[in-house]
Amino acid sequence: MARVLLKNVVKKFGNVVAVNHVNLEVKDREFMILLGPSGCGKSTTLRLIAGLETPDEGEIWIGDRLINDIDPTKRNVAMVFQSYALYPHMTVYQNIEFPLKMSRVPKNERRRRVIEAARFLGIEDLLNRYPKQLSGGQQQRVALARAIVREPEVFLLDEPLSNLDAKLRVKMRFELRHLLHDELKVTTIYVTHDQVEAMTMADRIAVMNQGRIMQIGTPVEVFEKPANMFVAGFIGVPPMNFFYGSLVSRGKELVLDTGGLEINIPNSYTKSLQEYVGREIVMGIRPQEITIHTEPIEYAYPGKIIGYEPLGTELYIHFTIDEKTDYVAVVKQRLAINLGQQIYWRPSPSKLYFFDKKTGNAIY
Amino acid sequence: MNEATKRNLLKALWIVFVYIILTMFAFIYLSPFIRSFVASFMTWEQASKYPPEWIPHPFTIENYLKLFRLELFPRWIMNSALYAGLIVAGNIIFSSMAGYAFARLEFPGRDALFSALLALLMIPIFVTLVPNYIIIYKLGLIDNIIGLALLSLANVSSIFLMRQYFLSLPQEVFDAARLDGCGPIKAFFYIALPLAKPALGAVAVYQFLGAWNAFLGPLVFLRSPENFTLPVGLSFAFQRSMWTEYTPIIAGSLVAAAPTIILFIGLNKYLIRGIVIQAGKG
Repeated sequence: MARVLLKNVVKKFGNVVAVNHVNLEVKDREFMILLGPSGCGKSTTLRLIAGLETPDEGEIWIGDRLINDIDPTKRNVAMVFQSYALYPHMTVYQNIEFPLKMSRVPKNERRRRVIEAARFLGIEDLLNRYPKQLSGGQQQRVALARAIVREPEVFLLDEPLSNLDAKLRVKMRFELRHLLHDELKVTTIYVTHDQVEAMTMADRIAVMNQGRIMQIGTPVEVFEKPANMFVAGFIGVPPMNFFYGSLVSRGKELVLDTGGLEINIPNSYTKSLQEYVGREIVMGIRPQEITIHTEPIEYAYPGKIIGYEPLGTELYIHFTIDEKTDYVAVVKQRLAINLGQQIYWRPSPSKLYFFDKKTGNAIY
Repeated sequence: MNEATKRNLLKALWIVFVYIILTMFAFIYLSPFIRSFVASFMTWEQASKYPPEWIPHPFTIENYLKLFRLELFPRWIMNSALYAGLIVAGNIIFSSMAGYAFARLEFPGRDALFSALLALLMIPIFVTLVPNYIIIYKLGLIDNIIGLALLSLANVSSIFLMRQYFLSLPQEVFDAARLDGCGPIKAFFYIALPLAKPALGAVAVYQFLGAWNAFLGPLVFLRSPENFTLPVGLSFAFQRSMWTEYTPIIAGSLVAAAPTIILFIGLNKYLIRGIVIQAGKG
């Protein structure tokens, strides 16, 4: 079992900086998720830890070993790939056995460990089949068995669920975490672009964008206290609404002047926002924190409905205040609304986020 | 006649028409073979008549008997088999290794080297015939099947085919092998080679056909009749000073073609796949 540490790691491909000064500490037995849009450098980071890529700068540590120049085989890491990367010409048994065979484990010992791993994942009936005879979910179990049979210190998973259908994905999400975190208790680094996976599985999430780590924190932390606009916009479905404007003082009160609309800012934010008076800021509100009213009420602002998506349990209402920007509110109650209708939307006063427009960083 | 039967009739007529055209083309392509087959049962006198006759009269198997009366005929078949066998083995070993290196290993100058290799395809074999002769001569391997085979143990198109095939295998499988403890050599033997069976089959079939039918190389590099391959031996045996007795050569060619025809019928799946591989990503 081991801790994984990345210090100032940089990886370039030609002129593209795929991983840009990444610092990351994954604690022993922690389930860490690297989350970000495609091309953000999360898979490259994983491949750097695996040893499939070499860093241009920085240090990578596993436990107390500096592994920059250590061969991937000797790093004691196992990886599960997005396509599972099973060897098509080998049976399930041979697939699971392969890493042991390569490290010259004696035959009896190999047999014992293969069967143990297969039993652990419930695939002992499939040992004589070939990968192409298996379903996606079964293939994935074989890939996992091949990884755990080596008893690695660190588990690396690269979007392991993205090739499964939606229903199986939800099931495997739960199983995977249980298996790796609760049963095997192995340090796990898991790459995904799916924020729901990240929220439900991770001990901590490292949100990445353009090769940099934007924020590291528990799922609750990144959701409730996003460090910047990127994290705020990336985590949460539907994404957070952003209102751009300048912060203006009206007597004792602060308001956000969006150009056509002045939004009152509750007093509880006055202190942290004081130094931004007269500057451009961004106000963020999650769609779940907006209520929609058909009649004007206090602290509600006019808007026009431009679309709605009924999801059964809830309703996504798209509205605009300037005929340009699309904002979303999620409401639970059944509303009789029509396209183009005038409504009044009211942000929940305690759930507002503010960001410096220039840097994108959150203001707390 | 209603619409439906009219349409069916037109369709049937169209099919008949297409089949007539296809049969005509098939006949055009097959006619040299049919001609050889018929002529192999004719006397030389009848076979050389103009306009050509198509029915052997008198019917004779003398041409085949002549063939089997040749003392060296079995020897030539053995020589051809040895030559083809060496070339197939050489190509499987060397082209797969070279193709793997070009597809999967990173080394300085790899792409330049590969382009240079491809450029070799543009050079006609007649250009390299003399230099090759000198090399083989200096090695003391003239008039030696092994010396001749040496020239063809690796082949640009085989290397190209193998490279394309290795490129088409998913990178993640090789990444997985690397993490599982395979260096480039183990990955070649445990992963790449077993997965390359279809491509190896295609290489083997192509090279066998080429070697079995080869004429120019054996003609230039081999001297003693007992070292000849079948195609060279046949033309040697029936070439008189002023004329060539073609009917036994035709019979011999048919006998010689038998293995390649059998091979083609049995393995045309691989041949087609080989073409598909080469047409794949480049």
